[in-house]
Amino acid sequence: MFTKKIDLAGAALFIAVMAVLPVIVGNAYLTGVLTVAVIYAIWAVSWDFMSGLTGRENFGHSLFIGAGAYTAGFLNTVWGFDGWWSIPAAMVVASLFALVMGFPTLRLKGPYFALAMLSSAVIMQRLMLIFWEYTGGEEGINGVEPLIDSQLGFYYFALAVLVGVTAVLIALARSNWGLILRAIRGDEATCQAAGLNVTYYKIASLVISGAIAGGGGAMYAHYQLQVSPALFEVVTSITVITMVYVGGMASIYGPVGGAILLVLLTELLRDFGEWRLMIYSVVLILILFFLPQGFIAPLWERFRARFGRSST
Amino acid sequence: MAEILIQGAVSSAIYAMLAVGFTLIFGVARILNLAHGSFYALGAYGAYLLTSLGLPLVPAALLSIAFVAVFGVVMERVFVRPMRKQSLLAVLMITLAVALAVEQALFLGFGSEYRNVPALVSAKYTIAGVDIAGQRLLTLVAGIVLIGALWLFIQRTRLGSAILAISQDPEAAQYMGIPSDRIFALVMALSAGLAAAAGILAGPFLTVQPTMWLLPIVKAFAIVVVGGLGSIPGSILAALMLGYAETIVAYVISTSWTEIISVLATLLMLVFRPAGIFGKRAAF
Repeated sequence: MFTKKIDLAGAALFIAVMAVLPVIVGNAYLTGVLTVAVIYAIWAVSWDFMSGLTGRENFGHSLFIGAGAYTAGFLNTVWGFDGWWSIPAAMVVASLFALVMGFPTLRLKGPYFALAMLSSAVIMQRLMLIFWEYTGGEEGINGVEPLIDSQLGFYYFALAVLVGVTAVLIALARSNWGLILRAIRGDEATCQAAGLNVTYYKIASLVISGAIAGGGGAMYAHYQLQVSPALFEVVTSITVITMVYVGGMASIYGPVGGAILLVLLTELLRDFGEWRLMIYSVVLILILFFLPQGFIAPLWERFRARFGRSST
Repeated sequence: MAEILIQGAVSSAIYAMLAVGFTLIFGVARILNLAHGSFYALGAYGAYLLTSLGLPLVPAALLSIAFVAVFGVVMERVFVRPMRKQSLLAVLMITLAVALAVEQALFLGFGSEYRNVPALVSAKYTIAGVDIAGQRLLTLVAGIVLIGALWLFIQRTRLGSAILAISQDPEAAQYMGIPSDRIFALVMALSAGLAAAAGILAGPFLTVQPTMWLLPIVKAFAIVVVGGLGSIPGSILAALMLGYAETIVAYVISTSWTEIISVLATLLMLVFRPAGIFGKRAAF
């Protein structure tokens, strides 16, 4: 996908636009919106790497996001670690969650994985409320320190993380590894017959996906300067999934566009306040019906077919 | 001790009403319906709305159940059926989207504050030295009656045989001339109506608010995993197990830990016996 000049040009253009936008517009509000968009893009890319490629839909991505954010919150405020420990620690904790969830459920066919992820995210949110003495309950944990003092600096850091993560995941998705994951999506039985340890690949990709989502959760905690149980909500997972669907499943770069597009749209819809989530769910239903292939990745493919000279 | 027995029976009855419908529609149509909890929520809200408009409770409850049953049929027809051709996951995805849309509709219509569904029975009874609210007792009795009636319907009538036939072998059933689409609609109506009844019965002593669809889904899923996907006796047994396990933990340890049980049971069961107690190995 990135062997062609046109893809590199597209990626460079995207990065340039994202980097220059806040400077040109130069208002803090837009920078904040873009930061949130970039973090959502990290979550969407990580979801796509596991679920888009293997076709095992994860309905509880918010489990990893919340686990990462709470790890950051506890480390930073309760135990007083420096903020830069948060991201690696969050990645480790989220990986453990991925192992605990993946081992029982990914060995099985059928909907067990999807539903078990949904269930555990719901229950984690309940636990955060029930054990309010430690977690702050509805309020969550406040007083998380910023990682980088300047808002623009943090935005560039988040953008760099997004670009790095996306590049690594695209490289992985285009390697043999990604091929195997796609093959699992196509025909699991054949993969197994070919002597591949299918379960290992699925669990490993869930761990990678979870770790990145957890790291993104930690970044989010350090951006919002607080952590709340709302992160675990089903809505968080559905938002991420909608972004992937809009971007185009299994394309890795599509969900980045989907995330940024949807966050900006949501900001435009801010006057609709209460209707925001309703609009989200309706968009999701419409996309499932009319654009199951998504929207951004197919557009780019078409654009490429027209203007990209086949100089592989 | 007596208290645990009675309270456990009440929560088991609610869980069974939820899980039987959830597993029934899966067994027959291979639809895993994440909007099942929305039926429960819509039932409670329907009863709330109709009674606040001045209808007496019993007709309000029946109307609400009928409305939810129709909603279930329409949902299956409009949203789920096109997705069934694609994959099981497309069905999960669309039902989840519908569930979110219903939650948001309730939120926009009624706000996020708790609503009160009036109780059918306001008296208190004392059984074996335990005080129990009449509404809870009614829930227990109604749950047993409704599930018993459903069981008889499936075992004893022609339509019930058709339902059984489709769940055992969809292709053969089609060849025998059983109209599977119509049967799906019927099963969806039964499943939705049963969930709505659970919502109306449990509404007075549980919180009625837009997000109330979530926990029932988690519990129903745990129950069908433990009982075996698609098995009605399994889901009844597992509902009893979960209902009592939660009640015992609530009394012996603390209510804080009850919520963990369902997920823990799900994960452990999937590790040791993915097919569940009564499940066939080839649920898929």
